Amino acid sequence: MRKILKRGLLFLLILILLLAGCSAWAKKAVVSKRGSIKGRSRVFADIAAEKENTLDVLVMGDSESFTSISPMQLWRQHGIAAYDCGQSGQKIQETYYMLKTALKTQEPRLVLLEANLMFRNPGRLENLQSAISEAMLYHFPIFRYHNIWKTMFDSSATLPDEYKGFTIRNSVKSYDGDENYMKETSELKKIPEFVDIYLKKIIEICQGKDIPLMLYSAPSPVNYNTAKHNAIQDYADKHNLPYLDLNYKTKELKINWKEDSYDKGDHLNVFGAEKVTAYMGEYLAEKYDLPDHRGEAGYEEWDRLAEMYRQEFLAVKGK
Amino acid sequence: MAYHTLLYGFVFLPLCLIAYQMVPQRHRWKVLLAFSWLFFFIISRKLLIYLIGATVITHYTGVRLELLHAHEEKEKEEAAGRKKKEIRLKYQKRSRQVLSLGILMLLGVLIYLKYYNFFIHNIESIIDLSFLPFALHEKNLLLPVGISFYTLQAVGYMADVYWGKIRAEESLGRTALFLSFFPQIMEGPICRYTDTADTLYAGRALTWENLSEGYIRIFWGFFKKLIIADRLSVIVGEIFGNYMEYKGAVVAVGAVAYTVQLYMEFSGCMDMVIGSGQVFGIRLPENFRQPFCARSAAEFWRRWHISLGVWFKTYIFYPVSVSGIVKKWNSFGRKHAGKYLTRLVTSALALFPVWLCNGLWHGARWSYIFYGMYYFTLILAGMAVEPVRDRILALLHIHPDSFGWRTVQIAKTWLIIFTGELFFRADGLRAGLHMFRSIFDGFEIRQLWDGTLFGLGLERADFAVVAAGCIVVAVIGSLNERGLIPRIHSLRLSEPVKWCTFYALIFAVLIFAAYGDGYQAVDLIYAGF
Repeated sequence: MRKILKRGLLFLLILILLLAGCSAWAKKAVVSKRGSIKGRSRVFADIAAEKENTLDVLVMGDSESFTSISPMQLWRQHGIAAYDCGQSGQKIQETYYMLKTALKTQEPRLVLLEANLMFRNPGRLENLQSAISEAMLYHFPIFRYHNIWKTMFDSSATLPDEYKGFTIRNSVKSYDGDENYMKETSELKKIPEFVDIYLKKIIEICQGKDIPLMLYSAPSPVNYNTAKHNAIQDYADKHNLPYLDLNYKTKELKINWKEDSYDKGDHLNVFGAEKVTAYMGEYLAEKYDLPDHRGEAGYEEWDRLAEMYRQEFLAVKGK
Repeated sequence: MAYHTLLYGFVFLPLCLIAYQMVPQRHRWKVLLAFSWLFFFIISRKLLIYLIGATVITHYTGVRLELLHAHEEKEKEEAAGRKKKEIRLKYQKRSRQVLSLGILMLLGVLIYLKYYNFFIHNIESIIDLSFLPFALHEKNLLLPVGISFYTLQAVGYMADVYWGKIRAEESLGRTALFLSFFPQIMEGPICRYTDTADTLYAGRALTWENLSEGYIRIFWGFFKKLIIADRLSVIVGEIFGNYMEYKGAVVAVGAVAYTVQLYMEFSGCMDMVIGSGQVFGIRLPENFRQPFCARSAAEFWRRWHISLGVWFKTYIFYPVSVSGIVKKWNSFGRKHAGKYLTRLVTSALALFPVWLCNGLWHGARWSYIFYGMYYFTLILAGMAVEPVRDRILALLHIHPDSFGWRTVQIAKTWLIIFTGELFFRADGLRAGLHMFRSIFDGFEIRQLWDGTLFGLGLERADFAVVAAGCIVVAVIGSLNERGLIPRIHSLRLSEPVKWCTFYALIFAVLIFAAYGDGYQAVDLIYAGF
């Protein structure tokens, strides 16, 4: 048994050192080969490649997050440097490690968490599997970026820049259901145990770094109802977190469900996102101390992207 | 929780190893049983009851048969002369009844769960069942994981006890472990009691050699499954899923890709299974032996899914070969039909049920039955032309073992295999026939290099990795075929070489496996049978 322990530990030690070495190389490689990582890991690679200490707002969550907040509009209107760190169907474990990854190079003044992911529950086993795999992906990024060798075969296949995590989606598929979808009820939808565990970790990190954490819900008749709202509000109250549910403000935002969704009320298209971002920009500027970076040295890329965004937006709006 | 998942490799197996090592030797098999049932429960939940039921039936059938053997021996000792034969016949009849009951119960459950809907569907398409006083509808039946594997294993065990080849296991728990051992429950190999019993219950202490070599074997399985098979599943899914859109060389590529995928996946899974057994010092039988080196369809099946072939040979082919009808034909044939025809018909009589069961075992679909009959026909045809072929070879002065002739035979076998797997994978017999015909419709060889293949969902880099992976597997297979791997092993590889091999495997899997972005996790194919 002693032989197993001795050799096993030595084997693992060497393995960890090799993994750490490869991971360090992979981290550098994704920064230098920006745009070479595709799929879910792209956000991790891109946030890691952002210039140090330039972001003030991190927007996290599932697809409801990156389809509702447009960082370029926040920049144009208020000079707020925000980044959409959301992923489609983001699991709370991913949110936690996304935040940790971002905080390695950034010192944001606010973390905005879109709350739809608080109800995602793929089951206990799947949750456990995600907990293990996400921890491995975080500590040994070579697992996350292992496909980077493909650039050796096709080095030109890099992806174009996105607008700080936001993509212009201009297609329209109207939502024809009940616009008054937030019906009165005192029911609370259950927040899964695993979500609670990781949310507490997220809250702890933010408190430890003195970063305010704010919950919000993007307008989405497909995903939201009052039972969800009640559960999030209850959670926010218990943990002393601000919560803004935009599903109750669709009239104020002038959301037109015939035009502002690209998939029948599941997600907002760019026109809906512009309305939400306009409101959110005013709200954040009023409630939080967020500096206006427009014209500042080191933010030249933001101006360039904002102009590109404006041109593209005007083009799709004119169609 | 399949064998290639993180949960199995990093949580389940290590926890089982720790628990196994911590308890005294005589109780270690109980730890394996507890983890085996837990493994089954995690996948199939309350369907565990089927496994427990099968275990109870198998165990008590074995015990009852053993008791009858003992009574028979005792009575024979006390009796003399002709009476002994009467006693033997009496107990043979009783034992046969007990065995038949046990087999009927086990196969009854399997047939009901696996084939009920198939039968109802086919009967309904032929006759109107509305005249029946009760309604017969297709049902939503859930299959417990590995039922096709553990049922065959259980039947084999009972038959071996009946034939007196083994003594029945006295402990219900040990029978339970024999049927449910977690590394083999999902995809086999279908073990005979004599294959595993020795090491399964021994409770040997963990050793560094077993652990390291077992884990190397597991990672070799990951290499085949995650680097090659899961990549190929992308183009296989595309071609077979949209078969109406493809023809010519692309469909042929689909058939070859699926064959390679299935081999890499199934044999890779067997590496994980055998490695998982090895870490506990438990020997599980090999299920593959370089099948692509086979020179005929019959030889292919002696090298591919070996445990299934052995099972059919032992429990169907041999019993049918010595059955009354075959014996009658033999004596009739020798007098009237000549040696050649007698042998051929005898083989056909014994092989037909084997290949019908082989097809049906894979699932309740006509394409699987066709698959079984396809091999039945080809193997029989091979036997039929054997004398003529040998005469032609002699006339042309071609040595049967010459390199050229072997190459021709292997190439012919490959064609047989690829065609068989095309029908096996196709979404039904009609789709299979359509795809087979479409290969010859506008076949253009240049589709292989004009970029058509790159539009099937895999990038150039993926094709390069698949090719490199296949070369590695072929080289290792070739060393195995020449018996060099055991020889290299017997040189007692120094520890650093072993470690380097392990690290190389780990990093090959880590970097080149088809996981993460752009790839979907692919379930084990044979776990669905």
